[in-house]
Amino acid sequence: MSVKKPDLLQGTLDLLVLKTLAQGPQHGYGIAQKILLSSRQLIDVQQGSLYPALHRLERKNLVTSEWRESDAGRMARVYSLTKAGHACLASEIEQWSRYSAAINWVLEG
Amino acid sequence: MWRLWNKPDRDLDREISFHLETLADSYQRQGMSREEAMRTARREFGGVEPVKEACRDIRWSRPLAELARDIRFGWRMMRRAPAITGAALLSLALGIGATTAILTLADVLLWRTLGVPEPGQLSEVFWASKQRTGFNRRSVGSVHKDGALLVADFFSSQGLDALRASAQGKAGIAAQMGTFRVSASYDDQLSVAQVRPVSGNFFSVLGIQPAHGRVLNEHDDSPSAAPAVVLSHRFWSAKFGASPAVAGRSIRINNHMYEIAGVLPAEFRGIVPAENVELYSSIWQSPPFLEPDSNFRASAVDPTCWWLHLIARRAPGVSEAQLRDILDAGFAASWPKAPESAEATPHIRLSNARRGLGSIRRSLGNPILILLGLVVLVLVAACANIANLMLARSASREKEVALRISLGCGQARLLRQFLTESLLLATIGGLLSIPVAAGVLSMLPGFTPIQGTEMAISATPDPRSLAGAAVVTGLSALLFGLYPAWRAVRIDAGPALKEVTGRSAAHLRSRWAPARLLVLFQVALGVVLVTVAVLFTGNLLEIVSRETGFDRGNTILCKVRPGDQGYLDDRLKSFYSTLEQRLNDVPGVESAGLSITGPMSGGGGWSDLARLSNGDKFETAVHHVSHRFLDAMRVPVTAGRMLTRQDVESGGRVAVVSQDFAARLGLPSPLGARFTMGFGEDVQYEIVGIARNATYTDLRHTPLVVYIPFDFGVPTAQVVLNSSIPPAGIMPAVRDAVNGIDREVPLVDVFTMEQQISRTLHRERLFAWLCGSFGVLALVLCMVGLYGLMSHTTARRTQEIGIRMAMGATRGGVVFLALGNGLALALGGLVLGVPPAVYALRLAERHQLIPQGPFPLAALASAMGLIALSATLAVLLPALRAARIQPAQALRRA
Repeated sequence: MSVKKPDLLQGTLDLLVLKTLAQGPQHGYGIAQKILLSSRQLIDVQQGSLYPALHRLERKNLVTSEWRESDAGRMARVYSLTKAGHACLASEIEQWSRYSAAINWVLEG
Repeated sequence: MWRLWNKPDRDLDREISFHLETLADSYQRQGMSREEAMRTARREFGGVEPVKEACRDIRWSRPLAELARDIRFGWRMMRRAPAITGAALLSLALGIGATTAILTLADVLLWRTLGVPEPGQLSEVFWASKQRTGFNRRSVGSVHKDGALLVADFFSSQGLDALRASAQGKAGIAAQMGTFRVSASYDDQLSVAQVRPVSGNFFSVLGIQPAHGRVLNEHDDSPSAAPAVVLSHRFWSAKFGASPAVAGRSIRINNHMYEIAGVLPAEFRGIVPAENVELYSSIWQSPPFLEPDSNFRASAVDPTCWWLHLIARRAPGVSEAQLRDILDAGFAASWPKAPESAEATPHIRLSNARRGLGSIRRSLGNPILILLGLVVLVLVAACANIANLMLARSASREKEVALRISLGCGQARLLRQFLTESLLLATIGGLLSIPVAAGVLSMLPGFTPIQGTEMAISATPDPRSLAGAAVVTGLSALLFGLYPAWRAVRIDAGPALKEVTGRSAAHLRSRWAPARLLVLFQVALGVVLVTVAVLFTGNLLEIVSRETGFDRGNTILCKVRPGDQGYLDDRLKSFYSTLEQRLNDVPGVESAGLSITGPMSGGGGWSDLARLSNGDKFETAVHHVSHRFLDAMRVPVTAGRMLTRQDVESGGRVAVVSQDFAARLGLPSPLGARFTMGFGEDVQYEIVGIARNATYTDLRHTPLVVYIPFDFGVPTAQVVLNSSIPPAGIMPAVRDAVNGIDREVPLVDVFTMEQQISRTLHRERLFAWLCGSFGVLALVLCMVGLYGLMSHTTARRTQEIGIRMAMGATRGGVVFLALGNGLALALGGLVLGVPPAVYALRLAERHQLIPQGPFPLAALASAMGLIALSATLAVLLPALRAARIQPAQALRRA
């Protein structure tokens, strides 16, 4: 790996997970792959750390989970976004864009 | 249950392994081998365990799941050391159980408030004087001493009227009499019941509302009212199946019909603690008043006859002192004549009655507090034992703790583990203590203080007492469970892990210091408890084995109640005369006689004075008997003659007196001497015979006794049978003989003399039994404590002993070393225990639980001997184990 991947900013993992799940129900492995894919391989989530995040979101009722059979025929725990999760995602995105815009202004200023 | 709590864990495992396998699949597709793919996947995933731990942290069920794990682990640990666990549980169960039982007893008898509204407003009314007053000669009630004052609880009906008049508007005053045993029959079911005659305003003064029907009221308070009774809730539930339709029905009491007015509420349990009164009637319509020729009815209006017990309810805002002054002013108006002196002038005194009338508190209060003190000592000894066992256990678990700490177990987590284990132990011990307490309580009514009644102490341990005892023991379990944990988390894991059994002696001593102190303390407590146990059981045995002066082995006692069936006057007398004759004719009955006072029944008939012609006066017990009575009791007449049938039938003024009575006369020839004595009017008697000294109504005293022939115009009498055939063999024939006279008059209250004797010794038996158990308990606790300490010391010194033996120490020397160690500890405890034991003895003597006399050195010495013996036994086993140590093996293990 020649390019140094940026460290994930504190607190952004939840946002990424929520965003990924907004596109449809997914299991932990799938979420990791999707984040990797959509960040153009630049963000490599430490895969293990995904699970505490998922469980935390589930406790906050932002996601729910159920056991389903996966493509390979294994039982997988599939997470999906709840109503509260959708609402939370919207506000998180808004916060993020304001935050990143602010950072950009500072850097460009 | 475990499965449910563990489900989230298993789900997490499955979730993570799905991730790993799917990831591995993708690597496999890139051409890796399966193993390589899995390895890479794991590396990619990061540490599996930290992830799991993080997830557990987030999940809500974590605390519960951990608690479950802790409990399961604690249970496993407890099972791994069954001896220690068993001993701790036993200590807990016995300690808490015994304390709860005694606390419950104390609560019922001493502390519980009456089940009436505003009990604090109630006062018991007494009068007190320095000397006996001369104008209340015929009185029924109790007198107790308060310093130099005599305090009495009886008043005449004129006294009641005067007090009521003076207290108008300031207090309501109700009256009641002592209880009477009656035969009650309802729906052809006959039972013996306890009835208390009360004034009409009794229930309104107490503020009691009926559960069904009505309570008695002022209209019942007249000689012309229709007889009515109120049932206690208990009696109603037991005998009437709690039927609400009972009010208005009839019940036959003795030979009279009563209307059942109503039923009392369950929360009212009587006005005397632990009494079991089943029926309440008005005084004027009470069974003793309705008897033909009733003495009570005749004397009820006599101002010299004082027989009513009073209870007052103060109006709100009236203090006890105010009411006392008011009543005292009115009291004098009711006296039949002026007092002889200022000393003999009675004054009103009030005592708060929110916890019921005080007679039981006065007679049993201090003894119960002493019992409570003793049982607290037992509880403390049990706590010390638990502490010791927990220490021992923690010592054996040091390695485990060290291992867990080095594996990264947090201190808080470790503490919680120990806490859970202690709680588990305390909980199981607490649960086990409930049947122990119930068992003790169920035996208490056997030690009934009042003849013919039953203490109404239910076998349900008082929940507050149970909670109190459980909290104390639970706290000690926690404290002593946590102390080792606290110490354990401070140990240096490295050396502790390496260490197997070896340990330097100095290290050992400091480590065991708290345990040694506890054992010392325990032995000292043991000295106190065992001494008291030896003392009380010895006291009981001494009393029981005392010479009674009559035949104890072959005597059977029973009662007949012909008066209840309407026998009167001549019919009554001829009933008794026929009864005595028929009983003497029964084959196997050597002799049968009658008396009014039951032998060994407590109480009895006393004449203040037997007055000689020279004016000399003394107190004597009076035994009204049939002419066969002395023969039936096997009390020989040593001089003069027996009483005869003619004496009885002619109502002769003759008497047989005891040897002591005769000696008291101080005459050269007592036969033929005359003395006067009487209840009311004095009667002159001539002494015709002298009988061997014999006890009268209890074993503790052998008073002067005079036997008077009596014609038995009384409704109930005591039957005394002498037979070498045991009761089971002889009683059917005896019952047949009695049934032959009148089927409606059965023999009741059949006891052998030995049974009757043990009934009079309720207090001694209660104390001997309870303190004996406490003593045994203390001994067992001591032994367990010493044994536990010594076997642990031995186990941990295996290496040192091995070295000693390798260096040439003999086995005898090793035994001596180990024995000496334990016995020195026991000896220290013995010495420490002597001063408190002496104090306990003095206390028991002061409260007359044991007779005053020379210091009971023998009891103390034998108690110390007992403890020394059991201590030696407890220490011997570990010492012998130490001697069996093989030096080579012990050293190799190091």
